[in-house]
Amino acid sequence: MTTTEEKPETKASFEPKIVGFLCNWCSYAGADLAGVSRIQYPPNLRIIRVMCSGRVEPEMVVKALYYGADGVLVLGCHIGDCHYQKGNHRTKKRIAVIQRLLGYLGIDPRRVRLDWVSAAEGGRFAQIVTEFTEEMRKLGPLSLKEAFS
Amino acid sequence: MIEEVRGLAKKWLESGKVEAILALRKKDGHVAPYLFTETGELDGLVISSNASEIISRYFPSSRSQRYKKNVLYLLEQKYPNAKIGVVARGCDERALIELAKRDQLDLEKIEIMGVACTKEDALECRCPKPYPTKLDVGERVEDVPGDTAVEALLEKSLLEKLAFWKHELSKCIKCYGCRNVCPSCFCEDCELEQDLWVKTGQLPPEIPMFHIIRWYHIADRCIECGECEKACPVDIPLLTIFKLLRRDIKEMFDYEAGLDVKQEAPLLTTLDETPLKE
Repeated sequence: MTTTEEKPETKASFEPKIVGFLCNWCSYAGADLAGVSRIQYPPNLRIIRVMCSGRVEPEMVVKALYYGADGVLVLGCHIGDCHYQKGNHRTKKRIAVIQRLLGYLGIDPRRVRLDWVSAAEGGRFAQIVTEFTEEMRKLGPLSLKEAFS
Repeated sequence: MIEEVRGLAKKWLESGKVEAILALRKKDGHVAPYLFTETGELDGLVISSNASEIISRYFPSSRSQRYKKNVLYLLEQKYPNAKIGVVARGCDERALIELAKRDQLDLEKIEIMGVACTKEDALECRCPKPYPTKLDVGERVEDVPGDTAVEALLEKSLLEKLAFWKHELSKCIKCYGCRNVCPSCFCEDCELEQDLWVKTGQLPPEIPMFHIIRWYHIADRCIECGECEKACPVDIPLLTIFKLLRRDIKEMFDYEAGLDVKQEAPLLTTLDETPLKE
């Protein structure tokens, strides 16, 4: 049985698994820029490239958590910069709802984070990933499947 | 009150205001929806013998997913020129509005006969608005107390919530009852029957993935009728979570499902409320 509480003894050794849904046009390019610029960020992120952050259904977030992710990061273009005009508007509303829902179930809503990274913001991308990884490290392992079985 | 409804129904049928009236009929001790076309039959009309029986029967979903259209849609297709009266309580009306908003029926062809519920019914259903906006029979019951189950859940810590839902959801036998009975669920291809999300034929279901997917899907269309909770054979407190979700949707997007047919659902609009659909 795992908990969402902070666990001091696992803090040092625990490496969170993070799934990141990155939009093709801004955030993925931003991640690429971070790589090309050799900006260091934690290797805990597993990136899934999607065409738009609006493609990220909450089902996908939940499935990632269910099958072992400790946190899910959804990154898209800044509001107004979406390649498909309004795709990220949809993401913003959806993620807000799923965060509330997770909270009611007893899963820390901080485990799902939505943020905006443009293609020019390699540094910002690295900073968000670092912050999020540290936060997940503090929250400890989730193991959603085991927590409910 | 029932006499008033029957009288009004008779008037509507006789004056030709409506061609037929959809309501519940009691026959041989059983209650089922029935299309009243003649005034002589109206003695069998009942509002609801049991408060928990009504709404699902207006929007039946058969076991075959391909037949998930509601009764009124089918009637409208069959008799395109007829006007159909519907005896509707608060929840029924909200369901009608929500379905019309999502192109599942045409409100123009429907005449709603609004009937208010009694306070006892409202308390039993934990219903905050036990009357339709268009009220024809009965009186509004306003002073229904707040929900204690909702407050109790909110007071729990994250760990307590987790333990609570672990216990509740472990009872789930994946009967799909909550989905089948839901008036707001009408997709012909349900994600809960796709192996990508939920392995079909596997028991127990993927707890809590199965449940979160369903809850999310009707987050902005739940009309708080509570049918899912009543249908649940293992008494999972589904209405509690939907009450919370409805509250959130109101708080975040200033939207309540089933109130205004012209107001677009928030998850289908942009941040400035313009519809995403072409």
